[in-house]
This record gives sequence, structure tokens and C-alpha cells, in this order.
Amino acid sequence: MASFGSKVFLSLGRTNVSGVGFKKTGNRATYATALTVNSSSTNKARGGKGSTGRRPKRGPGEPRTEKMALDQDWTSVYPAATPFRANAVPLPLRMGYPVKRGIPPEKKGNLELIKIPNFLHLTPAAIRKHCEALKPFCTEWPSALDTDAKCDELFPVKIQSTDYVSAGPSIRNPSARVVHMKVKLSSLNLDDHARKKMLKLVGDRYCKDSDILTIKTESCPLRQQNYDYAMYLLTVLYHESWKIEPWEAEKTRADMEEYSWEDSTSQKNILDTLLRINATGEGEEAEVREQLLGREEVLEYKDSVETLKNEEPSESNMLRYKEAVRKVLKV
Amino acid sequence: MLHYTRGQCRKKKKLQGFCFFYYLLNMAAPLVVRRELFSLVKILGGISQLGPRGLGACSNHRKCSQTRFELLQRPNTFFHTAAYLSSTPFTITVTDEPDTLFQKVVVLVKAHDRAVLDSYEFFATMAAKELGITMGKVFEPPKDIERLTLLKSVHIYKKHRVQYEMRTHYRSIELLHVTGCTAQVYLEYIQRNLPEGVAMEVTKTAMEKIPDHILEPMWKDHPIDDKSSK
Repeated sequence: MASFGSKVFLSLGRTNVSGVGFKKTGNRATYATALTVNSSSTNKARGGKGSTGRRPKRGPGEPRTEKMALDQDWTSVYPAATPFRANAVPLPLRMGYPVKRGIPPEKKGNLELIKIPNFLHLTPAAIRKHCEALKPFCTEWPSALDTDAKCDELFPVKIQSTDYVSAGPSIRNPSARVVHMKVKLSSLNLDDHARKKMLKLVGDRYCKDSDILTIKTESCPLRQQNYDYAMYLLTVLYHESWKIEPWEAEKTRADMEEYSWEDSTSQKNILDTLLRINATGEGEEAEVREQLLGREEVLEYKDSVETLKNEEPSESNMLRYKEAVRKVLKV
Repeated sequence: MLHYTRGQCRKKKKLQGFCFFYYLLNMAAPLVVRRELFSLVKILGGISQLGPRGLGACSNHRKCSQTRFELLQRPNTFFHTAAYLSSTPFTITVTDEPDTLFQKVVVLVKAHDRAVLDSYEFFATMAAKELGITMGKVFEPPKDIERLTLLKSVHIYKKHRVQYEMRTHYRSIELLHVTGCTAQVYLEYIQRNLPEGVAMEVTKTAMEKIPDHILEPMWKDHPIDDKSSK
């Protein structure tokens, strides 16, 4: 009874498979072997009682590789990803460790060949066929945007996001919600004051060498939300940097981003020194100061001081400063 | 009258259930069957509906358009035969929705076996070439080895340990100048054929225009006293 019930179930399974019409041949093979195993076990359980009424068991027959033509269509033998079948792959493969100075084991019944993922369904012919079918769904890249420079000019905002594919209990990955937004500040419409204010607002997120502002958003649970938040931040930064608040008039020399030589202690010192050197007392002081400022050596001195203060101090900068001082003081 | 034990009763119910399902398929109950048909065909159809929504549809009016593909409804009598899937003509509709543009798509694959990654790299590069996608660098970042030192025995024997290691090999494929549609098609193809035990990370860099509301500061039209923020 049990055997009859189970056999009915298995045959039912097979009709179900063929009925829907998309199962692979491999599954039919597994059902067939399950059927034979079941009948053989029941024979043993009954002590050979049912052997007289049963059909004689068929042997495995010759492997399919013998019947394969050389110019067959391989894509129909392995149309989808399936485990390795030794009697369906006409290659003399050997895999495994050669034990006791022997040779690697043959492919028949070789578990190593079954365990490793095979790419027999992705031969170049199969890839070509798949790509031919996929071609109509692709679109072409606009030919006007062939260089990176043009892309940067017309599309300066870059949005970077990551997708993750892996096997596990869940297909979700919490790191997939992170969005990086990169913009070059030179592509935004900012004047001098707005740019300086933007740099102060943004702080570490700006890279001076590449002039790229990076906004990384990961506080929202979804990627779309993080993207919207990043765009919102950019908008707010832009408009706030154009705003001129009343308290910005109190900006002191210490708040300045760059060193400017005009009206600095260095200018005052050099002019006082020069006046005292050339203490002839002719004309007014203001005129004399202007005259001195127009002189070549003084201008060179100004350049050297500015480079020293704004850039990294290096050998060449220090030497330049030394030369300028010598020329100004005529030493 | 067959005598069923408790186990067999369950199987009988399944048999009935299957007959009912088959009966339902072949009946001319239009509404129910069409919905099931459509949902089943969605599962069966190799390429699912394409409808890429780029990251934010900002005012990105590109000349490129999106392709969307629709299935034709077939009468339910053909469903249970293989004739359905082979003879349905797929129509591709082109819409005017602007397509996302990816300056760079970096595909990083991770696996425990270097040979599998070699084969996968060959497959991915060939697929990109066939689909006409320009490729950047294809290289192999150095592998990571994570080592564990554990006690060999269940109890005591502290001096005898056993060491395990997990090796992760990487392969990086860079694609340049890909449109949203092409990227979706290529990535779906690549990911469907990802072997077991291989993980993938895809980093996309999409390019967009500056949004309209950042082109001009709003304080030009409205004086600074107007503190209403956007």
C-alpha cells in the first residue's frame, strides 16, 4: 500500500512537471532514478516476492557522449546552469588529487567535478546567442559625450551608489543605502564671497586639490531618501552661501582663508623701514608710501611673503624671500 | 476501497489539489486565469519588465529614451503547452522618459576559488564586448586571507591548536559610458549567471545635470529680508 501510494505520488510529480512545461531534463532524470530505487527497495523488503510480477530492471545503457555528433549544438545540451553530468560531457576530464603516485580520478562518479560550479552553459556560442537576444533592450551612449571632460562640463553632479549580490538568509544589504554625491565647485554659480562661505560651511567634505565637494548621506533607511537628502543639502548650502548675514561684516583678519599682504603688519613694517632708510623728509608721508609701494623690489617682496604664507614652506620659497629682502634693503 | 494511513491522506489531498489546479487552468474562467497567467508568465518570462527609474528623475532631459517591454495576453488554452513560450512575439516600446547615464560601473566579484573567477571574468568581458559596452580596467585586486587559530581539543590541551583560513579572491571589471537601460540589461544577465558561492558588488557612478533650483540664488529675485527658506 505504501509503495503504491508513493509511486502514484511520484508519477503525479512527473506529469505535473511536463504539464507546466519548463522543467529541465535533469529533473526528469532524478524522478526516474527515484522511481527505480523505490521499486528495488520494495523488492528487497518483500524478500523478492514481487520480482515475478515486475518488469526486468533496465541497465544504464551506453553514455550519451557516444551518440553526440561533433557538430552538435552544445547550447541545447547545457541550456542552463546544471551540475556536471559525466555522461553528457564528451571531454576526457580528470579531477582530484593523484593518490599514491597515481593519476587524478576519472570523471565518472567524480564528486569534485560536481561540487565546483561549471560554466558549460556559458560557452562563447551560448553567450553570443544570449547577447543577440538581449541587444534590442540596450540603448546607445550619446555620441556627443565621448570624453570625460565633456561629461563633466554638461553633467557635473555625480551620484555614486553600491548594490550588493550575495547568497544568504536575506538578499538585503544595509550598506546599499549609502549615497555619495560629488560636485565640482567650479561648475556651480558661486561668486567669491559665496565660495568662501560654502567652504566654511562644508569643512572637511571639500578636497582642495581636485575641487570636489563630496556629500555622503547614509542617515536614511532607503537609497532614494538618501539621494533626496543629498540634493536637499546641496540646495541649502548653495542658497545659504549666497546669503549675506549682518554679522558677516565682523570678519576679522584671523577669519580670512588666505593671507593678503595689503594692510598687513608686513607691509607696515617694510614701509616704515624704507622710510627710515630714506629719511629725507620730502613731501607727505602718504605720497611717499604710495611711491614706495609701486617700486619693483617692494612688489617682489610682497609676492614672496604671500607665497610663503599661503603655500607650504619649501626651499625655493625661502630662497625667494631671502633674495627679495636683500633687494629691498639693498644689502 | 483502499485503506489509507494518515500519511497517505495528505498525499491524496495533494492529488485533489493538483486536479483542481489543472481543471482551473483549462476552464474558461477569464479573470482568475488571466491574473494567474500573467503572474506566472512574469515568473517564467526570461527578461522581466524593464522600467529603470534612475536615481531621482531630476530635470535630466536626455535624448536617449527608455525601452519597456510588454507581454501580449494569450488565450489560456495554450498555457499548459510549451507552444506558449516559444511563439509569443515580444513588443518593445520606447518611452520618452530620460535615461540615466553612468559614467562608470565597477563590478567587483568575490569568491573562494580563483579558477571560478577566471571563467566568470571571461564570460563577463565577452558579454560586454558582444553588447557593445566599452570596458575600462579589468584587474585582480590582491586576495584577503582571514586566519583563525582555535583549540584542537574540546577540553584542555591548550598547547595544541588548529588553524583555519578563509581566502577571498577578487576580480574587478570596470565599464565606462553605459546608459541606464544597457546597464540594467547587462547587470541582470551577469547576475543571473553568477555561480554559486560568488558574491558581487556593483558601484555605479551616475551623472546628472545641476538641478534647476541651484542655477541661480533665490535671493536675487527676493531681497535678503525675505527669510522664507526653500
